[in-house]
Amino acid sequence: MDTIQLKKPFEPKVVAFLCNWCSYAGADNAGISRLQSPANILPIRVMCSGRVSPEMILRTFRSGADGVMVLGCHIGDCHYINANHRTVKRVPLLQNLLGYTGINPERLVLDWVSSAEAPKFAQVTTDFVAKIKQLGPIAKELGIDQKSTITSLPVEEVKA
Amino acid sequence: MIDQIREQVKKVLKDLDGVVALRLTEQGTAPYLFQKADDLSQLVMEPRYPVSETTSKLQKRFKDAKIGIVARGCDTRALVEMAKRNQIDPTRLYIIGVSCSSELAEICHCAEPFPQIEQWPQAEIIGDPVPGAPPNPLVTKFENMPVNKRWEFWKAQFTKCIKCYGCRDICPVCFCEACALEDPLWVEPGLLVPDFPMYHLIKAMHMTTRCIACRQCETACPSGIPLTVLYDLIHSDVSELIGYKPGEDITANPPLSLTLADAPMESDLAY
Repeated sequence: MDTIQLKKPFEPKVVAFLCNWCSYAGADNAGISRLQSPANILPIRVMCSGRVSPEMILRTFRSGADGVMVLGCHIGDCHYINANHRTVKRVPLLQNLLGYTGINPERLVLDWVSSAEAPKFAQVTTDFVAKIKQLGPIAKELGIDQKSTITSLPVEEVKA
Repeated sequence: MIDQIREQVKKVLKDLDGVVALRLTEQGTAPYLFQKADDLSQLVMEPRYPVSETTSKLQKRFKDAKIGIVARGCDTRALVEMAKRNQIDPTRLYIIGVSCSSELAEICHCAEPFPQIEQWPQAEIIGDPVPGAPPNPLVTKFENMPVNKRWEFWKAQFTKCIKCYGCRDICPVCFCEACALEDPLWVEPGLLVPDFPMYHLIKAMHMTTRCIACRQCETACPSGIPLTVLYDLIHSDVSELIGYKPGEDITANPPLSLTLADAPMESDLAY
């Protein structure tokens, strides 16, 4: 007799910051073209990938995301001419910083997806979710209560 | 050496409106604007404290004043970063550079315990430059640590934080009027220990192209968190990835706000 699996498989929460002009349209295009992309992705539309500040990415992790994607226009195709030049410098530094403090740097990814690259969107999101599934929940990685978010480190509330 | 500094300050005060340096009184040591009538025997160099911010505030308040500063190597590096961000006017600044002793360099793990005065219009140096000290051994130890062990280390360190903002307040290159660390959107008020990864990683991220390795944050930290281990690591990444060293060149603009044409970077994504 087969054993009944009571434990639900891990479904990661992945937040994707999509640039309005390329990646969001690319995601839309992927949907229209009936290309499969995982439902774990929570898209957030931003006007430019250069708008995604390190604070935003850190807060996303803090709010319990297991992975964060930043997708924007290719270099040279940016709607704001060169705003994504900032992103390409900022994100690798933040990845390193996450690595130094013990969060796996692979949980943050930067890639370029143009509005015509619907297959690429499906590809990078599928790959990323598969990667995060393999890495497991971020709470487990940091050895904290799996139900709670990353906030619940030894935290005391101060009452005034 | 201190007599030599006092002598020099006395000499330059003839042409300047004042010189910013540390003053020792019964109340303690603090940055002070020495003017012609002041008692220069109160001028001291110890304990190490950043005087660049005081100078910046004075320059902003008195638009015509010509001010001098008694600056160590770390102070001049801070002044470089401040000058390129319009916090200091180099044309109205006279730098009396002071070389640190090799003992102090050892304590600070300082790679450059002497001021670089060539790029300043008016500057001089007192004392012989000593060679830089080796980097913090914790950094090397840390680089060989697996990722999961790193978290254990920082967890133990960050839970000691009492969120006094001392590391930010003392930092000579933290001068933003609106601080992200005070924004409730990023750092939740009323939480102690500050929530990871927000407080410390925002600070570290802001330090990437600014930190001039003065170790003041570490000295100021009442909990003894080795913050500069993190900053040193990210520091070396910046010089590796973008080839930028904070505090080195007054004409080099902060690379994170430049395009790839102005500050190129080696990456598969940068094409």
